[in-house]
Amino acid sequence: MNTHNKNYNRSNMRFIAALIRMKLSKMMTFRLSFFGAFFVDGSMFLIQVLFYQAIYSKVDSIGGWSTSEMIIFIGTFSLINALNMMIFFFGTNEIPNKIRNGDLDHYLTKPVNSLLRLSFESVDPGSIPLALASILLVLYGVKQVELEVTPQRFMAYFIIVLLMTLLWYDLQVITRSIPFFTISANNIARMGDTMLELCLKVPGTLFKGAFKVIFYFFLPYGIMATYPTELIVGKLSFPELIYGCFIVALFTAFTLWFWKLGLRHYKSASS
Amino acid sequence: MNIIETRNLTKTYQRFTKEPGLKGSIKSLFKREFTIKTAVSGFDLTVQEGEFLGLIGPNGAGKTTLVKMLTGIIAPSSGEISVAGYYPNRLENSFKQEYAVVMGQKSQLFFELSAADTFLLFKELYHIPEEEYRKNLDYFIKLFGVSDILDVQVRTLSLGERMKMELIVALLHNPKILFLDEPTIGLDAVAQKQIRQFLKEVNETKGTTIILTSHYMEDIKSLCKRCVVINGGIKLYDGDTDQLFANYQTHKKITISLEHDKTCSFLHEHVILEALPYKVTLLVKKEESQELLKDIFSRYDLNDISIEEEDIGNVVERIYTGKSEVKA
Repeated sequence: MNTHNKNYNRSNMRFIAALIRMKLSKMMTFRLSFFGAFFVDGSMFLIQVLFYQAIYSKVDSIGGWSTSEMIIFIGTFSLINALNMMIFFFGTNEIPNKIRNGDLDHYLTKPVNSLLRLSFESVDPGSIPLALASILLVLYGVKQVELEVTPQRFMAYFIIVLLMTLLWYDLQVITRSIPFFTISANNIARMGDTMLELCLKVPGTLFKGAFKVIFYFFLPYGIMATYPTELIVGKLSFPELIYGCFIVALFTAFTLWFWKLGLRHYKSASS
Repeated sequence: MNIIETRNLTKTYQRFTKEPGLKGSIKSLFKREFTIKTAVSGFDLTVQEGEFLGLIGPNGAGKTTLVKMLTGIIAPSSGEISVAGYYPNRLENSFKQEYAVVMGQKSQLFFELSAADTFLLFKELYHIPEEEYRKNLDYFIKLFGVSDILDVQVRTLSLGERMKMELIVALLHNPKILFLDEPTIGLDAVAQKQIRQFLKEVNETKGTTIILTSHYMEDIKSLCKRCVVINGGIKLYDGDTDQLFANYQTHKKITISLEHDKTCSFLHEHVILEALPYKVTLLVKKEESQELLKDIFSRYDLNDISIEEEDIGNVVERIYTGKSEVKA
């Protein structure tokens, strides 16, 4: 990496840190909304866990997965979801509105990557308890599995969780960038969210045939929590691990290309 | 040296059209119809470094589209464009360091925080070294006289105070070019005057090239030596501002409020914009206005009188049609 790139990345990091500081200061201006966020996200997690408990307490195994493995799966998806909410969900979710209203104008005239700014400008610390609770759920599941999990495997698990969070981000940006090309794209984003919800509830191993192709390749929501879970319980094969990394790299490259293409099609809005 | 150059610059948009009613909506589901709208057509423009250029025209004339192409927000459909040596729509960060844009109707400030918070963010955004940041900030705080409201929540600032902050944010990184889109919109006369003074000072002392679009004729007349008139995406005039107004702003708008309901004998000689029992608004030829005012003061008991320049829309319309007639 040359000096110019190093300086550029360092200043980008400083900018992101400043952006996060701003967002936190903004949230703290409204005390109720600041503390309320912790309460709302915590309650959502509790509802989610109760929901899964209601479904999975009646069966011993789903798609070859034991209850303990399902606990890890739920904890993993919840963790990826919490990271998503904490970092980029609220920023990227606003992309369609910003495209339609012409609010993207300001982002394009500033010397920082517009997608980077959008992604980090609405961080939500309210999801921190959700992330911590998810980690506890994963640890509880691991204990139940009665497998010896080495620190190296935990490390690998967290790396793949981060990779899958990036994949979630990619899919979120892609579906939210469609309004660059066609104004009414709400249904596509909604369809993506519905598929995501489905994949939140069942492990990817349940998908067969065309569904497997869809949820493992075209809209790879199916691998997001499945692969990290399989990794920590020692069921993820090496080719699957490579495939997971390949899909993340492919979708990240596509997302960046799609965003750039979208910017070239951006029409702004009349003032 | 030219800092902005465009040749034959054109921007066209495709616009979806449909017949009114449900039938039209159903039809449009299966057969889409589009019309092509040319927002800017064959536009040639050169701007010298340090110039203060006014860009005027009625709503939908193509001013904002032109500014959006110059700042890289949208890509031109055809033609050549160079701003500070860059092709704007490549959106290079080094290009974005060279200019700033202030849109009167779109704020860059964080409303829930203080303006000082936004300044700090922009310091990181533009990678402004600490010393330069301090120096510039002190200069602008003094120039705009805003030291006592820096730490106040932006949403509680008046529109005029907010615009001053918008300008400081935009100028902190010493841009070579400043694009201003309606900076005085909605401001009262005092705030408008202050903003104009600041802009003049910035242009003269810092040598910043300023491109100003405004509907307020006073902005253009008092700030821009040169102005460009645009309508229907076409450049209609490019030259000396005073000359433009001398040629086309031929009338004054005079409003008189009378003490008593009285028929005014001079009405039929001028274009009447409004005639109420106690109030009359007229368009009067510039050369006749002095005589008329003398007449009014000597013959009528007045409650109030105001003399304004003609609406910019009328002037631009006259330039566009090339006719000198006056419309009520």
